[in-house]
Amino acid sequence: MQVAVDGPWTPLLGRLSLEAIPYTNPILIFTFAIAAIVGLVVVGSVLYFKKVGYIWREWLCSVDHKRIGVMYIILGLVMLFRGFIDGVMIRTQQAIAIGPNSPGYLGAAHGYLPPYHFDQIYSAHGTIMLIFAATPLLTGLGNVIVPLQVGARDMAFPYLNAVSLWLTVAGALLCMISLFVGEFSNATWVGLMPFAEMSSNPGVGVDYWMWALQVSSLGTTFNSINMIATIVKMRAPGMGWFRVPVFTWATMATAIIGLTAFPVLTAALCMLGLDRYVGTHFFTAGMGGNYMLYINLFWTWGHPEVYFLMLPAFGLISEIVSTFSSKALFGYPTMIAASLGIAGVGWVVWAHHFFTMGMGPNLIGFFSAATMIVGIPTGVKAFNWIFTMYRGRITLATPMLWAITAIVLLLLGGITGMMLSASVVDYTVHDSVFVVAHFHCMVLVIGAGIFAAVTYWWPKVFGFKLNETLGQWFFWTFVLASVLVFIPMFQAGLDGETRRLDYLFDTSLRPLMLAEVTGMGMYFVSLFCFLAMLVVSLVKREPAGQDPWGTARSLEWLTHTPVPFYNFAVTPQVHALDELAWRRANGLEKAQPERYVPIHMPSSSGLPFIIGMLSFVCTFALVWRIWWLAGASLLAVILLVIIRSFDKNEGYVLSADTIAEMERKLHTVSLIAEQSKVLPVGGQVEAH
Amino acid sequence: MRHWRQLGLLAPLALAGCSTDNIRLFHPDGVMGGLEFHYTLWITGIMLLIIVPTLLMTIIFPLRYHHTRNAKYTPDWHFSAPIEILAWVIPLGMVVVLAYMSVSAIYRIDPWTAPALASAPGAAQPPINVQVITTDWQWVFIYPDQKIATIDDLVVPAGRRINLTMTSTDVMNGFYIPQVAPMVDVMPAMISKDAFEIDHPAEFTGFSTDFSGAGFSWMQFKTRIVAQSDFDAWVKSVQANPDQLTYGVFTQKIAPAQVNYGATPSYFSVADTGIFGKVVMDAMNGKTYPVPDSLTKSVASNEGEAPASTAAK
Ligand code: HEM
Ligand SMILES: [Cu+2]
Repeated sequence: MQVAVDGPWTPLLGRLSLEAIPYTNPILIFTFAIAAIVGLVVVGSVLYFKKVGYIWREWLCSVDHKRIGVMYIILGLVMLFRGFIDGVMIRTQQAIAIGPNSPGYLGAAHGYLPPYHFDQIYSAHGTIMLIFAATPLLTGLGNVIVPLQVGARDMAFPYLNAVSLWLTVAGALLCMISLFVGEFSNATWVGLMPFAEMSSNPGVGVDYWMWALQVSSLGTTFNSINMIATIVKMRAPGMGWFRVPVFTWATMATAIIGLTAFPVLTAALCMLGLDRYVGTHFFTAGMGGNYMLYINLFWTWGHPEVYFLMLPAFGLISEIVSTFSSKALFGYPTMIAASLGIAGVGWVVWAHHFFTMGMGPNLIGFFSAATMIVGIPTGVKAFNWIFTMYRGRITLATPMLWAITAIVLLLLGGITGMMLSASVVDYTVHDSVFVVAHFHCMVLVIGAGIFAAVTYWWPKVFGFKLNETLGQWFFWTFVLASVLVFIPMFQAGLDGETRRLDYLFDTSLRPLMLAEVTGMGMYFVSLFCFLAMLVVSLVKREPAGQDPWGTARSLEWLTHTPVPFYNFAVTPQVHALDELAWRRANGLEKAQPERYVPIHMPSSSGLPFIIGMLSFVCTFALVWRIWWLAGASLLAVILLVIIRSFDKNEGYVLSADTIAEMERKLHTVSLIAEQSKVLPVGGQVEAH
Repeated sequence: MRHWRQLGLLAPLALAGCSTDNIRLFHPDGVMGGLEFHYTLWITGIMLLIIVPTLLMTIIFPLRYHHTRNAKYTPDWHFSAPIEILAWVIPLGMVVVLAYMSVSAIYRIDPWTAPALASAPGAAQPPINVQVITTDWQWVFIYPDQKIATIDDLVVPAGRRINLTMTSTDVMNGFYIPQVAPMVDVMPAMISKDAFEIDHPAEFTGFSTDFSGAGFSWMQFKTRIVAQSDFDAWVKSVQANPDQLTYGVFTQKIAPAQVNYGATPSYFSVADTGIFGKVVMDAMNGKTYPVPDSLTKSVASNEGEAPASTAAK
């Protein structure tokens, strides 16, 4: 019952043929050349400096949560760059293709991207930015920070953590390779139904999108399980639920969303897969299919997904506002309540994404009011941040500037979100760029939170601070660019410009489009500042101390900078919500442990990497319908999982002497071990 | 509608040098559009009452309590029941008001029944019924009572209630005339509804809002609100048109093709009033109008024809 496909199919190569490679497209050839050069330089230098073994052992096989976190962040930054270039192309196309007399280049009637390319670009932009940039960046930060904040040695399941990372990488690879082999989906990041079905989309684009989402969301689900287990089971002694740092709480709320919402997406995509491969009719318009089912399922995941991204950002902002105000976070208990409240209410608002589909006033009224309720805990968060700053002693270092910007953006995104949740307003701007501007405001909150966090925790991970001057340049250019791009976008939305337009028939939009494209130019400047900041900081490498900001408050700042692979020489005893602040107040922050106990550490393993790459091969084969390859690689994955389950390796133990030796080398020893006698080996201490 | 004067409130949204003249939705027309704008202003205005002070505090506090200012410093003050209660109660109060407004608005504006139009002047006369069918990538308007049809040209009389019944041949689209009528999805195998009423002649551009494929950007239609007498005369002239729209002609005319989008409007007389129903039934029975890959690739590229241009603002 296999669906017949357009064009040739061979058992050996499936739908794959030379024609799949777009060697006639100048833009793609250029991109390929750049990618090839960068790839050659990276591989070449790894070979030249004889680092293959190092990279394989210390990174690709690593199960260390910090290394995995850093790899997540690198993946996120690379994909952020790809998504940014997509954004630049969207904006330049719309700045050129205005009105019937607009010029056409490179084979397009208007602008330089015909709809066939343009539609793929914005579909890729949305998918990449949300799934392969924002998600890995936040997951990466969570990976680095959460085990440290709860005083654990690693995540609860270090091996599963590596599997999650490499599954996400597999999805990202799938997105990237679609540039050069075949095409990407043109059915937008949400997968419009029934448009994404075979009859309107017979090519491989939708399959690429579907499998990329599918395999990476598996990784996200695993990661959520891991986070919940880590936070519930691995907290240091003394850390009751009301001493859990606020970012860890936010991650907990997010992980609950991740664990419960992502399976819905998995199920919806499975049904779409059946439609496209086997010819079922889950989401077709006719034959008993119901595409509204897809739209409901998608947003049942999709709305919790936006909070899945937002909550960790809220957590990051909370930590940073409190640190740089030299003051405890205001209203910690209500902050937690608000996080959990947002996660909960986020489940019953999904239908605000399709008020225009006509549910009747009763349902629309319900979903409209429910959506507005989300505004309450969001408002509470803003007030609490403001009152954290109130009567504080504020330092406007880069992380704080980002955090304040995030609050401002949140207010702007919040008011527009609340406008949209009134269906009567939504009827005028749904599917216009007003909505696009709304959620970009919100996504910029996440972006600002991420940049704040990267600057803030960077010294903890790498041992030196990022350059402050260039950091501020990066900040101000980025803010200016965002204003130039998104404020005119609100106006264009109120003028009725719809989303996803390859060509604007309304010439009066030209000034707005020019402002927006100028903003994109400004983003280039800020990108340059960002890179300059990295380079200058790397070259200067001014060593940072245990608490480089001087006012940090939570547990992770207690250990050495940079954090040794075993995190804490001795599992810390927690006395207060802001442990470091408490110890500072009591003069204990530099105290030495009385003695060391052996530490149980997980062994690294190359299997997660191999499983990830095999998943990539499997999904690639499925996209092109190369059945033998898909079957073989899937079988290999299953075999590897089985083999691993017979692996008796339970990690290794660092002896107390080794630790003492290493700690002595690290000079600054920081912990007090009041509890050394009851410390079990392995650091897995039951929470109180 | 005089509401636009209150828009000083929204000034930050308008970029320097751009007045609200350039913003369509600030100049609604007709009963439905006016009502939407009325609620938009109220809802936004109420929120600004809270957002503006919050915004000010967010910007002023970091300056006021900057470490160089030696302002009052209370490092351990991290909870205050009255403030927490206010932090929850103020947004709660606002949400109650907004939710009340939003819910009462939807019972007035619901596009399916358009209760707001029941008290408009046009309610004295029977409504004008128009069946709207979207295709890849055109708009077909059938007037079952007048027995005429057009492609890409919606002509209706002023001062009458216009009832739209909509469906799509193949994929989802969105019906949108900014300023005039609520945006409503147009869906294959289903029927959706919309309504509006405007009491004076006017012209607008309508377009599709839900992405539907390569020709989507060119999927516009003219909307002309004309005096009743002009409408009657127009109907007569179209009725006399020898081009008849039958279901057979319809399926040929709308098959996805390069030439469709941005085409100049065409007009038909209609004898078969069942076309709309057949479109819905056929879609339910699984009829699709597949868009071949080759077509998707050639739209608006030099592999295909350059699209004709349609109405500008
Ligand atoms: C106060 C909180 C919020 C409210 C009331 C709200 C409300 C809404 C509404 C009603 C829509 C549907 C608009 C439409 O399609 O017509 C929407 C769209 C959207 N919102 Fe929000 N929102 C809020 C916060 C957020 C947050 C925190 C994010 C996080 C990133 C977010 C991301 C999005 C996205 C991505 C879309 C559009 C999805 C699409 O159609 O492509 N929103 N929001
Ligand atoms: Cu939502």
